[in-house]
Amino acid sequence: MSTQRIDPLVQVETTCRALLNELQIIWEEVGETDADRDEMLLELERECVEVYRRKVDQANHSKAHIRQTIADSEAELAAICSAMGERPVHIRQSDQNIGSLKEELRKILSQVEEMKKRKEERRNHFIDVLDQIEMIRNEINGSTESVSSETVVDETETDLSLMRLEELHRQLHELLKEKSNRLKQVQEHLNTLNSLCSVMGMDFKLTATEVHPSLGDSEGSRSISNNTLEQLGIEINKLREVKIQRMERLQDLATTMLELWNLMDTPIEEQQKFQNVTCNVAASEHEITEPNTLSDDFINYVEEEVSRLEDLKSSKMKEIILKKRAELKEISTKTHLIPDTQLEDAIEAIDSGVVDAATILEQIELQIAKVKEEAFSRKEILEKVEKWLAACEEESWLEEYNRDENRYNAGRGTHLTLKRAEKARSLVNKLPGRVEALTSKIMAWEEERGSEFLYDGTPVLSMLEDYANLREEKEQERRRLRDQKRLQGQLIAEQEVLYGAKQSPPKPQSAKKGSKQCTGVPSTKKVALGGPMLQARKLDSVNSPRISQTRSNKKTEFMLQNDAIPASPAFKRGQDIADAPFRKHPSNGVNANEIESQLKTIPTNDPSNNTMTPLKTISSVDEENRKPKAMHSTASVQMQTDITPPPTLQTSLVEETHEEMEQSFEEKRLALMHSDKQIPSMIQV
Amino acid sequence: MTSVHPPPVPGRELSNPPTDGISNLRFSNHSDNLLVSSWDKTVRLYDASANVLRGEFMHGGPVLDCCFHDDSSGFSASADNKVRRIMFSHGKEEILGRHDAPVRCIEYSYAAGQVITGSWDKTLKCWDPRGASGQERTLVGTYPQPERVYSLSLVGNRLVVATAGRHVNVYDLRNMSQPEQRRESSLKYQTRCVRCYPNGTGYALSSVEGRVAMEFFDLSEASQAKKYGTFATGGCDGFVNVWDGNNKKRLYQYSKYPTSVAALSFSRDGRLLAVASSYTFEEGDKAHEPDAIFVRSVNEIEVKPKPKYMGSE
Repeated sequence: MSTQRIDPLVQVETTCRALLNELQIIWEEVGETDADRDEMLLELERECVEVYRRKVDQANHSKAHIRQTIADSEAELAAICSAMGERPVHIRQSDQNIGSLKEELRKILSQVEEMKKRKEERRNHFIDVLDQIEMIRNEINGSTESVSSETVVDETETDLSLMRLEELHRQLHELLKEKSNRLKQVQEHLNTLNSLCSVMGMDFKLTATEVHPSLGDSEGSRSISNNTLEQLGIEINKLREVKIQRMERLQDLATTMLELWNLMDTPIEEQQKFQNVTCNVAASEHEITEPNTLSDDFINYVEEEVSRLEDLKSSKMKEIILKKRAELKEISTKTHLIPDTQLEDAIEAIDSGVVDAATILEQIELQIAKVKEEAFSRKEILEKVEKWLAACEEESWLEEYNRDENRYNAGRGTHLTLKRAEKARSLVNKLPGRVEALTSKIMAWEEERGSEFLYDGTPVLSMLEDYANLREEKEQERRRLRDQKRLQGQLIAEQEVLYGAKQSPPKPQSAKKGSKQCTGVPSTKKVALGGPMLQARKLDSVNSPRISQTRSNKKTEFMLQNDAIPASPAFKRGQDIADAPFRKHPSNGVNANEIESQLKTIPTNDPSNNTMTPLKTISSVDEENRKPKAMHSTASVQMQTDITPPPTLQTSLVEETHEEMEQSFEEKRLALMHSDKQIPSMIQV
Repeated sequence: MTSVHPPPVPGRELSNPPTDGISNLRFSNHSDNLLVSSWDKTVRLYDASANVLRGEFMHGGPVLDCCFHDDSSGFSASADNKVRRIMFSHGKEEILGRHDAPVRCIEYSYAAGQVITGSWDKTLKCWDPRGASGQERTLVGTYPQPERVYSLSLVGNRLVVATAGRHVNVYDLRNMSQPEQRRESSLKYQTRCVRCYPNGTGYALSSVEGRVAMEFFDLSEASQAKKYGTFATGGCDGFVNVWDGNNKKRLYQYSKYPTSVAALSFSRDGRLLAVASSYTFEEGDKAHEPDAIFVRSVNEIEVKPKPKYMGSE
């Protein structure tokens, strides 16, 4: 008997039967009716049925649940598989009855688990790739904000297929390539930057860090963003431009230096020092790669050298200019020309930098050439002028000599002076002819050159005219004296006749007087005449006929008195004749008159002057004696030929204004104001 | 130096006259504004009919001449060698340019739109006042003169310049490269003043002797001159005379002013005559009456020429 393995069911049944028996017993005891017993038994049965039903329901439920779970799992699996782009592994076949539901469930769950795992893996891959992509993209865009990950994630839920993964891998790969390209680019740029900085003596690290902090660091990851690349590009271009600028500047300096070296023949040793600069004179930008060849310091150094050279050049030029100026002065003085003051002023102004030394040098050279040419053309006439001046000196010497009473006395050297006098006399005789010849020569020269012939600033023609006029005056004077003497002689003779002989007239005295009055003080300085004086003289000759006519007159006069008192004109100075009795204020009066008449551009063409030639000379003498101090013999003549009798007011007014310049009331008032201002300041001092 | 009150002179004396000699005065072409330049280094602007000082402008030196541009601005010529534009409304002046010596006279030409100045540096300069300040921009041209410029006057396109040494140059403003005519004063003494006739046929020239010469640009005009032809002259004798140029007669003489008449100006309509009574230093530095400006109304009878015989003109 196998009572050990008691079937639980049998056991339960046995328990049920026992319980039923027990129940029967109880009922027996209780005395339940049969109907009640049956009812109770029925209820018992019903309750049992209920319990069975409940259990069956539960079992059904759980079966349905399992089925549901399976379906869910299948759906999930399908979803996962579709998301992963794979065909669903488990296809539910309706006729398949592989095993029990639980088995199926188990299988499906495990499949789902597996897929879930795979999906998770896949998902991780995706996330990984996407992260990397995002990172690189950020690096490239230079932004730190992450691309919205939600979309990515969403996408990740729906599409986890291998295709997409491959796609993403491909993107990543491209991005990685891009990144490495950029890194290479950045490196290249940094290299360029480095080279530029080294050439120009700039700090590379500083410059790089300025563009982006990560670039200065040689280790560590570098920024590859668009912005960085752009900035790098800009910075490089900027530096390149600076480099070109500096290079051009240096090349300019080098060219200048070469020019200056050439100009000043600088020794080779000095030039060698700057070999590295001049060798690059024609280089182009990319050829210059040596460090510090374009640094600020270096360029300044070269600049300084160039400026030093230029200073040297200008000082040398100045030397040359001064030398040339001396040369010009010498030539001018030799040919008795007055040097150009404008040039002098310009030379003085060199230092102030207003005028350019090179232009002045040019001007001086031109001037020298001009003066040389002029000197050459003047040579012949100049010689003659000097001969004439020498002759005039001799003339005045002769005058003095003639006044010397003791000239014929024997003494040491007398014979020499006699000889000199002889020579002088012959010279003086030839003078008029010479003067005429010289005058015509000068006139021809002036006509040809179109300008006056000046001797130390004075036109020679006017000097000659003056000389001629002076001679004329002297002649007239002498003639007048002679006339006077003659008259006196006549008078005395008459008196003698009437009253007997008297003392002889003081002949030598008057002669002396006459000659004294005829001569002027022999001037040591030959050619010192003021402008206005000459102008005044000139006007005289304007009134009188041309010089040639005067000359002829003088010639005739001259021949008349060949044996008489020798002609003794000398150069008349303004104040020289002050001692002459009837020329009290000749110069002032003369000048005033003539200046005034000069101011009137209408020439005083007085007919009386021109008609009577014999009287002409006398009348011009009288004209000069403006103040009507009576001149005994000539008073009548004066009245006839007095030309322009101006009111005294006019003369005094004009003479006054001649002393100073003409001034208006306002000018005088202003001058007074200024002098008033000065006096108080002087007092204060 | 105050003297007994002088006998009343015709005309109303302007208040706030300059404190030193008056060099010139002018009426404006548009109103009764009077511009007065003075040796006290100021230029003053008066409203002559209202007798009010409207403005006073300081300069660096005595002001020798002044002229109007319009009622808002004018120009001045000063002994500190500078030519200035004066802006009345802004109450300030600015330098237009400079000469090398005191600027003696200044005129504004409406025809050419330029300021013309004459100076003792023997030049005439023309300026364009519309340019910015600064000589480089405003100077139109410099024209050398034979001597220091003493006076100048404009009419239409003609400019007459009188200099020391009795030179007179006549220019056409449209061609300043050289004078239209180079003349010499027909008077024997230093030229004092030159003024063109408003009808543009010629000019009047006066000398320090006290004479006035009437000249014509074109000699044929001399025979044709007609019309009013009257002008006023003021002398150092203190009298203002009105003359008939055609008949060469004096029409009227106003009562004597306290001291020399330094300047005269008729208003634009000829109703008013401004007289500057201010010693002009013709006899050097000496005590003199205070400088004053008198504005009198002008009666037609004083300035209209008397007909030679009835029924003429």
